[in-house]
Amino acid sequence: MDAYLFSQYLLSGIVIGLIYSLMALGITFIYSIMKMINWAMGEFYMIGSYVQYALLVTLLPPERWYLALPLAMGAVFLLGVVTQRLLLRPMYVGGIERRDEYATIITIALMVFFRNLAIVLGGPNQYAPKDYARATTLGTLPISGNRVVALVAAIVLLTLFSLMVKQTWLGRAFRGAAQNRVGIQTAGIDVLRLDMLAFGVGVALAAAAGALLAPDFLVYPENGAISTFKGFEIIVIGGLGSIPGSVVGGVLLGVIEALGSVFIASAYKDLYGFVLLIALLVLRPTGLFGERERTV
Amino acid sequence: MRGRTWPTKAAAVLVAIVACGFTAPALAQKPVKIGVLTPLSPPGDASAGQFIVRGAKMAADDVNARGGVLGGRKIELVTEDDSGTPEKGVAGFRKLATLDQVVAVIGQFHSSVMGAVQELAEQFKIPVFATQASARSLTEKHLTYTFRTHVIDPDRVSLWNRWIKQHDFKRVALIAENTDYGVGLVEETKRLFKSMDVQADLKTVIFDRAVVDLTPQLLEIKNWKPDLVLNGGVGTPVYLVIKQAHDVGLFPAVPMLVSYDLPARPEFWKNLGDKGAYLTFIVYYHPTMKLTSRGEAFRAKYREQYKEDPVYGALNAYAQVALVADALNDAKSDTGEPLVKALLSNTFEGWNGTISFSHGEGPYWQQWTPPMLFLQYTKPEMPFGEAKIVFPPQFKTGDLLMAPKR
Repeated sequence: MDAYLFSQYLLSGIVIGLIYSLMALGITFIYSIMKMINWAMGEFYMIGSYVQYALLVTLLPPERWYLALPLAMGAVFLLGVVTQRLLLRPMYVGGIERRDEYATIITIALMVFFRNLAIVLGGPNQYAPKDYARATTLGTLPISGNRVVALVAAIVLLTLFSLMVKQTWLGRAFRGAAQNRVGIQTAGIDVLRLDMLAFGVGVALAAAAGALLAPDFLVYPENGAISTFKGFEIIVIGGLGSIPGSVVGGVLLGVIEALGSVFIASAYKDLYGFVLLIALLVLRPTGLFGERERTV
Repeated sequence: MRGRTWPTKAAAVLVAIVACGFTAPALAQKPVKIGVLTPLSPPGDASAGQFIVRGAKMAADDVNARGGVLGGRKIELVTEDDSGTPEKGVAGFRKLATLDQVVAVIGQFHSSVMGAVQELAEQFKIPVFATQASARSLTEKHLTYTFRTHVIDPDRVSLWNRWIKQHDFKRVALIAENTDYGVGLVEETKRLFKSMDVQADLKTVIFDRAVVDLTPQLLEIKNWKPDLVLNGGVGTPVYLVIKQAHDVGLFPAVPMLVSYDLPARPEFWKNLGDKGAYLTFIVYYHPTMKLTSRGEAFRAKYREQYKEDPVYGALNAYAQVALVADALNDAKSDTGEPLVKALLSNTFEGWNGTISFSHGEGPYWQQWTPPMLFLQYTKPEMPFGEAKIVFPPQFKTGDLLMAPKR
């Protein structure tokens, strides 16, 4: 195997890993603020892809995909806010004792509901919006234009998200909530409203991934399943609650899967990520960038 | 009777009349149920399932319009979604057998599902029909209640091997999903490459059906420098392989053959756009084919109802429901054993020929095989009816066209 071919596989892994890290970021962000796992994350990815497709075949011409993207994210953000307000807020105000179980049941029910709703509304068939850009070459890698667009958009969104968290008042509030939900209430911050925003932002990131990958990975009711799966792997590898962990974990997973499927066997592509995950859990249970929870 | 008085006789006659009045129409009107167990949601090839249901419904309507079966009983279809997964298929079959009490089940599309439900068919003594499930092992088990009116993998592979030899392809890559169908294709191709003395190198890549990013596998194939790629995906993976092979510059520079008739479906061009041009694919039906009178009537009605040409899945499902109806009449019974006897001892009018089942050797057990053609789309948005038949030679309407260099 020469260096040229190796670099192709490596690059393809880095590209897909970075795109998957958008999904992981959404999961880890919601977890950080609300201390719950959203099992329906893939369905928000799926809804993002459907909204993008619907906009591009009805309201907008295909070449205006970049206008459809924020609209798809916005629509899913609103859906997330409403979902959080109606179904998840009772966890924090209704005196529910088993909060984790409640969140698991509600989000799994949402997953089933959204999948079936997609079948009812859009049928079980696949759809695909027109390509966002022409196929090109990235270094040594021949690559779809859509994936280049998704890569650039993922980097932009990750940067914007990072700036928002570090530089803005809202970001400080989010960080505060992540550290101590009770503590920030003493500073006059409405933590329930913050939960609503965090859930909306988290699912909007998943929707962005769905909308960006729609031309390459198609639009169909179960298209979010694999990205949820990857998202969870990434956050465990990178460390739950860590933004750099999501990015590094994503890239690491993408590279290991790409190389494993070429050098070992492609039929077990999903297995390689799990081997890495298990190894990390043994050697560093908090993940690459995770921190041990402080207890008083 | 001598001892009975006339009021007793009159009462007996009255009871008999009333009894006949209630029971005879009740029996005559009790519908005969046929199950349609097929993929109607992902991860199964749900689009295929929809076409199968269309064909089955139209057949049930036709049979009922002609007076039904078994002296006037109507056919009632009970549709169940197997999602292309064995566990849902098994649950669906159990429901059809126990709750709905169907007399036969058609619509099986995924080989892995068919493999799981055919054991139940034996248990419940209900004939099950593979409508588009093609794994060799399904009929090779020589089960009493398994029937198939679809091609089997050895025939499919044998035909593409003949095509490979004819075109003198030297390096053939087969990318297939990790299902019974995909793995079966890989094994069959390896086996028949030897026995048919195909003078070409073969590279096989099996991918996980759930995986959506196939770039590393396709780069690996591209770097192997094949002169033909065989696409052994089913449903969504077929599209993913074509799209991503196009993106890495593998297809259409290297010709690609899709292993079944998915590109014949109306949504094909919507999903692929220009990337579908120069694709070659296997079909079992072409709009220019001459059909039986039953097939012609169905085709005309389908065109009128859906404003498009029927696809093979719809034709085959139509023929299967129609032949089950014929077999019920021949058997004069709606139970499993007489029905199987009738299926084996009679011939039935299919959509393009006469269907008969026999106990052949190996996978040719209770198996009837439709014809196979290789078609090629030579330009974007090409209607299915205009696609060129490039193989076998006796049906050819055009030569395999290579894509211009990009």
